[in-house]
Amino acid sequence: MTTAQTQPPPTASPPPSAPEPPAGIQGAAWKWGVGLLMCYVIYGAFFIARNAVGFVGDSARIIFFHVPCAVLSSIAYFVAAAYAGLYLFSSHPEKRFNLELDAKSAAAMELGFLFCILATITGSLFAGMQWGTFWNWDPREISIVGMLLLYAAYLVLRSAGGEQPDKRARLTTVYILITLIPTVFLVWVVPRIQALQSLHPTSVLANPKNTSAAYKEVLYPSFLAFILLFVWLFQLRFRLYKLGAKDRSR
Amino acid sequence: MGRVADTAGAGPVSAQAGVVTSSRPAWLSEAAALFAKDLRAEMRTKVAISAIGVFTLSALLLLGLATAALKEAQIPIPDTDLTRPAWDPAGKMALLWVLLCFAAFTGLAHSFVHEEETGTSLALRLSMPAGAVYAGKLAFNLALIFAVALVATPLYMLITGMPLGPPLVFLLVMIGGCTGLAGAATIVAALAAKARGTGALYSALGLPILFVFLALLLNAAKTVYAGPQPALDVVKAVGGLFSYGILLITVSALTFGFIWED
Repeated sequence: MTTAQTQPPPTASPPPSAPEPPAGIQGAAWKWGVGLLMCYVIYGAFFIARNAVGFVGDSARIIFFHVPCAVLSSIAYFVAAAYAGLYLFSSHPEKRFNLELDAKSAAAMELGFLFCILATITGSLFAGMQWGTFWNWDPREISIVGMLLLYAAYLVLRSAGGEQPDKRARLTTVYILITLIPTVFLVWVVPRIQALQSLHPTSVLANPKNTSAAYKEVLYPSFLAFILLFVWLFQLRFRLYKLGAKDRSR
Repeated sequence: MGRVADTAGAGPVSAQAGVVTSSRPAWLSEAAALFAKDLRAEMRTKVAISAIGVFTLSALLLLGLATAALKEAQIPIPDTDLTRPAWDPAGKMALLWVLLCFAAFTGLAHSFVHEEETGTSLALRLSMPAGAVYAGKLAFNLALIFAVALVATPLYMLITGMPLGPPLVFLLVMIGGCTGLAGAATIVAALAAKARGTGALYSALGLPILFVFLALLLNAAKTVYAGPQPALDVVKAVGGLFSYGILLITVSALTFGFIWED
């Protein structure tokens, strides 16, 4: 039941393990590259950026951590949905689905859950400092907690999906595609509902004139750092899956 | 053994339907046959209808008891002689939808779980394509949720004093709400039944989907009771509600085959 379709002929073990050493060097490069970039972001957040106008005390500095996490938590869902769609709709002769695509969508979902939790916590801290309450059902807060629920429900389904990897993959990928609709509404519709007045400073950030050069110097590297962190973790998670799959097929 | 006959009974009915109106596409008459079979099975045992009925009635009574003091309560507006209701009509409608969501999620799982439990899903799979099964089950769940809403809403209005507002907008919000609710409940029931899940799994998968739905409903409820409104705002609020339900049903129809066929 191995689905090593992307790899050359599934011969015995030695040849596929040949490109392992570069993975080690690559891993070190990822670790040091992302690590140094993150160090710069943390340094920049506290020493390069100044207190922002209109924000209470140092509260604006959380932007460098909260915004990338929040953006990534929704991007992760769309990445997962793309892999889920590929898994279901890429046609295979004799109905042999590519389980690696399912593993990739699961990895994206797990990481999305992680970043979603981080975005919720950092957002709540900001709300507590800026608005005096940690939770006030702002539309953005409704969105993020809705995303959190969807991620959690996915993980519940994945753990209840049964032992057959094929069946579990089908159930979970279908669930991702269905919950894509709530996700789209959460990301683009709910924050714009007029009945729910928002205090969230999205419009402040959306206009480039409002951000000083010092903020851009930190904010853009911060986005890069978080995206690279996501890609690196994604690769690690997927490699772990492949090791597990190899172990099972033995 | 009588349960097996339920599914077997679908054959002759669909043949009959085909004779009566031959212009209908095949899947539609198959879906109608499945709907008729579900209705007949439900009338025989009344499992789903009694579960939802008892749940809704007891929830209504509990709500009435808990909110008796709030029903007519008024809060003074600071610096004026005026008062405003402590529990505004939009809030009352939101609670009605919370109640209907939970009511739907107590009874609608039955549609697919029953087929899996009795082993009739295999026979069903043989007798019609996945699309027809989805359409039939959706139609049955829609009928069930409309029936529940039709009974529960007037009772709820009596208990909490929720006003009607503009009748047409109110009706549209109710129809849009029921459509979305049935759409979400049907596909999640199919997933939960396949995952060999319990009722807990069904709610865990379904309620996150309804979370957004409730936000949209809350928005629509505010439009219903906000007094005269620009037509565009009403169309936006009600349209958002409908689009959510229709999108859910569309994606469910596209992906249902992957869950249904082993």
